[in-house]
Amino acid sequence: MKNIFRHPEKSVASKLIIAIGLLMILLTLIFWYAILIKQEKDITSIAVRYGGSFVNFTKESVRASMLNFKRDETQRMLETLSTPQGVRRVSIYNHQGNILFSSDKKSTGQLIDRNTVACKGCHTDPEKSPALQEAPRKWAVYRDEHGYRTLHVIDEIPNEPSCYTAACHVHSPDRKVLGFVDAQLSLAFLDEALLKQKLAITAYVVLFVLGVSLFLGLIIYKIVSKPVSELAQGMEKVAGGDLDYTVPIKSVDEMGVLAQTFNSMIKDLKMARDQREKWTQTLEEEIAKKAEEIRKTHASLVQTEKLASLGRMAAGVAHEINNPLTGVVTFAHLLKKRFPAESPESQDLNIIIEQADRCSKIIKNLLTFARATPSEKGKVSINDVLNRTVFMVQNQVKFHHIKFDVHLENYQFVIVGDSSQFQQIFLNMFINAADAMNERGKITVATRRITENGRPYVEIEFTDEGCGIKDDDLPKLFEPFFTTKPVGKGTGLGLSVSHGIVKHLGGYIKVNSVVGKGTSFFVRLPLTEEGK
Amino acid sequence: MKKILVIDDEAIVRTSCERALGLEGYQVKLAASGREGIEFLENETFGIVLLDLKMPDMDGIEVLNRINEKWPATKVIMITGYSTVETAVQALRLGAYNFIEKPFTPDTLLAAVREVTENSGGPQK
Repeated sequence: MKNIFRHPEKSVASKLIIAIGLLMILLTLIFWYAILIKQEKDITSIAVRYGGSFVNFTKESVRASMLNFKRDETQRMLETLSTPQGVRRVSIYNHQGNILFSSDKKSTGQLIDRNTVACKGCHTDPEKSPALQEAPRKWAVYRDEHGYRTLHVIDEIPNEPSCYTAACHVHSPDRKVLGFVDAQLSLAFLDEALLKQKLAITAYVVLFVLGVSLFLGLIIYKIVSKPVSELAQGMEKVAGGDLDYTVPIKSVDEMGVLAQTFNSMIKDLKMARDQREKWTQTLEEEIAKKAEEIRKTHASLVQTEKLASLGRMAAGVAHEINNPLTGVVTFAHLLKKRFPAESPESQDLNIIIEQADRCSKIIKNLLTFARATPSEKGKVSINDVLNRTVFMVQNQVKFHHIKFDVHLENYQFVIVGDSSQFQQIFLNMFINAADAMNERGKITVATRRITENGRPYVEIEFTDEGCGIKDDDLPKLFEPFFTTKPVGKGTGLGLSVSHGIVKHLGGYIKVNSVVGKGTSFFVRLPLTEEGK
Repeated sequence: MKKILVIDDEAIVRTSCERALGLEGYQVKLAASGREGIEFLENETFGIVLLDLKMPDMDGIEVLNRINEKWPATKVIMITGYSTVETAVQALRLGAYNFIEKPFTPDTLLAAVREVTENSGGPQK
């Protein structure tokens, strides 16, 4: 709204109002002028008519005194006739223009102004010739020195028989016109009334123009300016990024349609933006996910490499230790043979032999752990290997008090690999389970087919009823040489070896453990072929 | 057939074999490398060769091939430091009579050697 007043050039409404206002002022001025002209004309013609009547009345009034040649009476009569307000002067002059009688005594005997209607009403050029006008006039309006209009009305005094037969014999019968009656009537009253009317009309016109302009302005503001500025405001907001904004225009005209179109456009825009933002977010999440995967893969690679280098080192050390160990074992045995079996020397040597044997076992495990690639690759049936391993361990003393609960799914879980490696993994699991349960309890073995990331896996479960694994120990479970078993019982290589093999085959080992209740190991291996 | 040649780059392994077998009455000769072992074989006839699989200058497999080629009657028992089955299997394929794993006890060694002497002349398994 303020634009209309402060910057009219910037407002459509103000331009429209100014244009319409100007047009109205122009039209009303023309109309007004026409009315005034017409009114003035009408009033003048009425004045002329009354003027004519007045002149006739004058003529009739002075007729008797003129015929009787009573000059004083004529003079008096004229003076009386000039008494009403508006009658400025009443005169009688002869054809030559000499004023014979006048209500204004001073002008008696003077010549009339020949440039007025008094002469020119009938004569074309009264100074030179007696030629007559084609259309004689009996009246004219002049302005006096004060600017007031004065109506001059004249009428001839025709020659009548009573005139030239009168006793005074002033006039000859040849003359047609004896003289003229000239009445000068002031139009000041009329002019004042007209002026008042002019002012009143002007005031009306101004009021009318102002009123119409104001009304138009309001209408234009309401139906054009306000919606347009609201639209502009909406566009500004939208350009500023606020896509929740809606233009509050409810009308059903073009403005309403425009606003509706605008609003639906913004809605579409918002939807597109939201969609884009969603995509961006999804993309970001995807990137974060991938980054995490890469980080994990990297960490696992680092871990694998660490284990591999450790393994290589261990293999070298193991190989070197085997030689001196051979000496220790051989000579301890040879020395033992020299002493009776029950002698303290023999028992001491037994300890040496046992410890050397322990070293040998550690080395064997180390070498298995270090072995990078499977030796004899072939199609291996997981269920077969499991059954074999279970059968094998059941005959061992260690497992005499352990019950095996075997649930193998009826699938031929086929994996390309080294069966001895699988056997080693399973054996490790059984040994760990037995150790965790102090060689008493139940071991559950199960296989099942699962799908992960669209790939088929075989899951091999080993569940014991043992002591469980402490949370602190869980992360270290697959580290080489990590063991919770008493000294001399475990090498800390079983799970790390298993982990290495499983990893190599593209699988992984999952652990669920509750301290005091038991532990479940889930070995998950990708299937090479679908079983039937 | 009581003559046995031990080829191993490790002195302690050689000495161990010498003492363990010597006590049982075997005649034992020691070679510190594959090359040296071949030299002994050129000059003498051995019934059994105890051969280390991994040696610096000449590999056990290479020595095994040479022995099979030139002295087919001589039986070779491989000594392996690697508990890898495949190397041993490879050795057996190439004609080794048997293999023992390091570290071995005198009993293991003697058992392997006795198996050869008892079956000598019979078909190889």
